[in-house]
Amino acid sequence: MLQTLNRPALEQETLRVSALHALVYCPRLFYLEEVEELYTQDAAVFAGRRLHAELAKANDEDWDELTLESPELGLRGKVDALRTRDGQIIPYEHKRGRCYRGNNRQPQAWESDRIQILAYALLIEAVLGVPVSEGRIRYHADNVLVHVPLNAEGRQAVHNAIHQARQLRQSPQRPPVTDNERLCVRCSLAPVCLPEESRLAHNPDYPALRLFPRDDDREVLHILEAGTYVGKTGEQLKISRQNQPDEKFPARQIGQIVLHSFSQISTQAMHFCADQQIGLHFISGGGRYIGSFDTRQGSIQRRIQQYKALSNPEVCLNLAKKLVACRGQSQRKYLMRGQRGMAEIPPPLTAAIDQMQRLLKQVDLAPTIDSLLGLEGNLAACYFGALSHLLGEDTPPELRFTGRNRRPPHDRFNTLLGFGYALLLKDVINAILVVGLEPALGFYHQPRTQAPPLALDLMEIFRVPLVDMPIVASINRQQWDVDADFEVHKTHIWLSDSGKRKFIELYEKRKQETWKHPATNYSLTYRRILELEVRLLEKEWSGEAGLFGQLVLR
Amino acid sequence: MSEHKNWYLICYDIREPKRWRKAYKLLKGYGDTLQYSIIRCRLTMRDREKLRWELEKILEPEDSLLIVGLCNSCLERICLCNRPEAWSIQDTGFRIL
Repeated sequence: MLQTLNRPALEQETLRVSALHALVYCPRLFYLEEVEELYTQDAAVFAGRRLHAELAKANDEDWDELTLESPELGLRGKVDALRTRDGQIIPYEHKRGRCYRGNNRQPQAWESDRIQILAYALLIEAVLGVPVSEGRIRYHADNVLVHVPLNAEGRQAVHNAIHQARQLRQSPQRPPVTDNERLCVRCSLAPVCLPEESRLAHNPDYPALRLFPRDDDREVLHILEAGTYVGKTGEQLKISRQNQPDEKFPARQIGQIVLHSFSQISTQAMHFCADQQIGLHFISGGGRYIGSFDTRQGSIQRRIQQYKALSNPEVCLNLAKKLVACRGQSQRKYLMRGQRGMAEIPPPLTAAIDQMQRLLKQVDLAPTIDSLLGLEGNLAACYFGALSHLLGEDTPPELRFTGRNRRPPHDRFNTLLGFGYALLLKDVINAILVVGLEPALGFYHQPRTQAPPLALDLMEIFRVPLVDMPIVASINRQQWDVDADFEVHKTHIWLSDSGKRKFIELYEKRKQETWKHPATNYSLTYRRILELEVRLLEKEWSGEAGLFGQLVLR
Repeated sequence: MSEHKNWYLICYDIREPKRWRKAYKLLKGYGDTLQYSIIRCRLTMRDREKLRWELEKILEPEDSLLIVGLCNSCLERICLCNRPEAWSIQDTGFRIL
């Protein structure tokens, strides 16, 4: 069993006053930011910063920005402005929004703002040694100035908050989602915290609102031509191809760069990708996934929770069962879907569907991972055995599918599968890295070279909808040219340049299609669902289980 | 809170070369230049506010900056009234080079 150390160093570390603000807003927000070290900034955060930049310019002369720290109090922070009024030192805080209105429309400070300004006042007293009688908050949206007196009750409130913050920092347990749903709608961390999904996990009838963005519409850049050079100029990525003029792309429009075969990328560009959170992936010229640039974002805390959960054999077995059932059902449903519109249903297809039904019933009873592996193997054998019946009558013999083979693939169908799974693996790893989990620690697959087990695990959910289905559909639409799109070698078959282009287009277009998630009941694009699924997996061991692995084809 | 995107036209007049270069570099990271000192960007609220904040750190009071948000019907009219190359849109979500 994994041992985790208590971290005494944290006890000494002072709290940021703004963390106290987060704590009063929502303890879970505080925990995610301070303990799990997740920061996302939304529009309001940047608008607030701009307000401060503008104010600093407008009050050039008497603008004091003070960074203060008091170990005795346990706080540190940057005071917006200190003014002297009638011989009294008064800290000011500027807020972009509106103030809170009490019963008789009386302007008041929001509780989190109140604690924040009081904490600044206490900090000034402790560090500068001058008494402070009040703090003031200006709300710019409705142009209101609120006075917050520093009295005994206020002092106590700040001390209580500091105490609570310290306790939370020591706690391994993520606090529950707040009861006040309105807080979540305005929270910048909602896409990471997934409050609606957590409520759904506890109450299956909860009508989940979608706080998770529907799509990540940054572009994926596939670089196929060997010898291409990827560099950076200013805030742009520069792609230089042989015998072509340079192309520049604004960095904020790029979400991933995929280097197929041997292209160059400068170290500067790599640093820039890390900074801009652009995923960087490598795929070999033969269509094998090589690896990704892992910048180890996301805190260790998340990984520790993952290590703890996934070193428990029981947890692993349960998750693995869900996974095998999920993939097996999708495979079976896909075969059933293929029967539609067939004049005459081939008996082997019906037989495979029935056999899979029987196998799926055993999944839940499997006593060990090994027995699951056996079941999965049988399911896969049934599925791949019957898959060829979904191909149309007029499919050229070269594209016919007789059985799965790989490393290297011997026929065209397997070449397509292999390349598709490499692209999928790349996207799954991208999602795992974005969420900040450890790709190498999975619950079902055993470690082998290159492909990290957790990525292989998660991939199972998406094999059918993202790879198998588009391949069969494209063959039935007769999109493939059996000569020009493939390179036939003695021992293996690879996709040619034109074949790769065709496939990437097929795959990326598929990823942009939307799917209504069966558990959360809202639709997202597949590329977004990939990330959502990793986040839902992470919830499995954070006390909000039950939503992972539900993505089954209808 | 879905990440809705809108097109913006950003125009500026910056009085000093050093600041101009900084702002120009920054803006090129968000969008494409249409003409000198006219840039178009497709931004979420989040990106727009981030850009405004980053610009505010560079610009001085003497500089001017104009950010024009465009709605969908504005966009259609741009394409109607101008030369065809004035506003080309490629939005596939991926590129193969």
